[in-house]
Order: sequence, then structure tokens, then C-alpha cells
Amino acid sequence: MIDNNTKEFEIRIASSISSIFSDDIERQILSPLSCLREYGTNWLLEFDLPLVNKKDIKITFDEDSISVEAKLKETYSEEKLGKKTKFEYFKKTVILPNKVDNNNTSAKFVNGRLKITIPKTISSHKIKIE
Amino acid sequence: MKVSKKISPENILLIGFPSNGLVGTFTISYLINNLGMKQIGEIDHPDLPPTLFVEDGEILPPIRIYKKNNIFVIISDLPFDPYLAYVFAESILQYCKKNNIQKIIIVSGMETINGDPKAPKIYGLVTHQSLEEILYTNQISKFLTGSIFGADAAIITVFRKSKIPTLILYAECHPFFPDPEASIIAITTLAQILNIKVDTIDIQKKMERLRIQHRNLMEETIRTLQQQENQPARAPQIYR
Repeated sequence: MIDNNTKEFEIRIASSISSIFSDDIERQILSPLSCLREYGTNWLLEFDLPLVNKKDIKITFDEDSISVEAKLKETYSEEKLGKKTKFEYFKKTVILPNKVDNNNTSAKFVNGRLKITIPKTISSHKIKIE
Repeated sequence: MKVSKKISPENILLIGFPSNGLVGTFTISYLINNLGMKQIGEIDHPDLPPTLFVEDGEILPPIRIYKKNNIFVIISDLPFDPYLAYVFAESILQYCKKNNIQKIIIVSGMETINGDPKAPKIYGLVTHQSLEEILYTNQISKFLTGSIFGADAAIITVFRKSKIPTLILYAECHPFFPDPEASIIAITTLAQILNIKVDTIDIQKKMERLRIQHRNLMEETIRTLQQQENQPARAPQIYR
């Protein structure tokens, strides 16, 4: 237990170490959490990017994927398996369920969370109701 | 001569486990630290997956019990699927009976439509009418309409059938990302209810780092919550 009077606060939550396999220790890249949610006419893709300034985020996309890269505003250090590791970047590519409409895709960065709204591309064919 | 008997304060149990935004885990863990609570035991059950964590060479059980004065705390680092949540809740009830717990407060998180991430609100749900007054006195909005799934629902189901009144505090949060900011409102509300002083400066300073640090527990929690059988259509698609 951390002594409140002498040491800085630390949340003591134990968890397994599987995240070590998704972070790139050698290139100092963290894999951010992300989630993709489906709404009526669009998809909402979110990335959790704490310790990041808006100007340091780069979003690129091709037909069916979106990549996000961001430089951390300060180095993030963590001890993994007894070894102190340092990270400077977030990076991740997410494969999308449909093609990206590059004219109408938009992004917002609020409170360290990047929200990318991707309209669903619909090739419309009329169906006659009998 | 008049002899007055000192009335001892009622025993209160606080519970936190990994759920939406890890709000319960952040809140309870912070309180344990801030109040300097001492670990007095652990909860074990044959149906719980055999798991131990090692931290600085010390073996940590995943479900631990802490105490200070009349405040008891149970914290789990294991996310629960609904079955394990029942096991967890039943074990807690047994513990409450043995330790004369008179009130339970669970802290969790929930997503709301149009919630402001910079100014999260808190909602309360009570299993027994006797706790309605806490909501009123502390100006906590009542959770009026909505659905509760998974571990929260399983635990509330067990407690509402017991004689021990339970208050569930739900802080607005992002359900799939660690949300220490949402836990600040939960910490402040709990401090108000318990009439104790808790400084939140430390957690405010570390919020961004906590979000990175606990990505893995958040991911494990989502995976566990997605194992719920009857909600496949509502389950979000999560990439990691």
C-alpha cells in the first residue's frame, strides 16, 4: 500500500500483461484503445488518445481502413516485466466494415478522444413494393 | 446519574469492480489509498477463476477487503461475466451478514445520450426505499429509466432480494475507454455521503496517464461484458 503522506498517489489495480504484445516497445509506439459503433447512417470510430495535442495527430485512410498516428506531448514510461519502457507515440490501423466516403468523413478531438464520423456508403437500387 | 450509551456508526460497505469506464475500480482504489485503508482479507470462491497478481514481489488476490473505522471496502481487479457476478454478489452477502454491514454502496459507470464528458453527472439507484433520503440529501439525481446489463444487473438482483439496502452510484462515462475523470464525481459524491474529506488533486494530475496505464484492464472488461448471451445486437464492435 502506498503511504499517502510520503508517496505520490498510485492507483493499485492489478491486471495481466497482455498489452505488452500490442505495444511496440522497440519503436516506442503504444496501441491506443479504439471502438467502432454503428449508427443509422454512419459509423463512429473513436480512439482514446490521452497525453496528445490535436496538432500532433495524423489521420490517413484508404478504401477500407483508417490509420491514426499521434506524438505524445511527453514521454510515457511504464515498467513491464521488470523492464522500464518508454513510449513516444500512439499508432493504430483499423479495418472498416465498408468503404470510406472521403468527402464526408469528419473528425473531432475532444478531451483526448478522437471521434471520426464515417458516413455509410450506400449504392442505391430501388425495390418495388408489391 | 444518567448514563448514555455511545451509538457506534453503522457499518458501510463500498464495492468497486471493473465495468463501464473502469469508474468503480478507479473510485474505490483511490479511496482506499486516500483514506489509508488497511487490507483485512480477501474473497475466494471455487467458481472464481484461479488468478493471482504479483506486484513488486507481493502476491495480490484479485478480490480484496479493506477497512477503516466503520467503512469496509471490497475491490475486484477481475471483471465478471454474469455468472461470476452472481458468485461474487453471494460471497459479498455472506460477508455482510458476518460483519453486520447495514448499508452497501456500489460505484459504477454508465453511458448517457448527450452526456458532457467534461462535466459528467452522477445518478443513484436504490434497492430499498430507506436509502431514498441519501439521494435527496446529497442532491443525487435518481436513475429513472434505462436498462442495466451484465455484472451490475446480476449483483443488484442479488442485493435487492436481501435485507441490506444498497445504493448504486452511476457516473456518466465513456463505457469503452478508462474514464478517471468520471470517477472524480463518484469520489466527491461518496465523500459527501460518508461525510469524509477526500482530496481529488492527485487523481486529477494523473488522469491522462491512468488512461494509458489501464488500457489492458479496460479491454479485458469489455471482452468479459461482451460474453453476455442475450445482447449480441447491442454489443459494440471493439478493435484493439
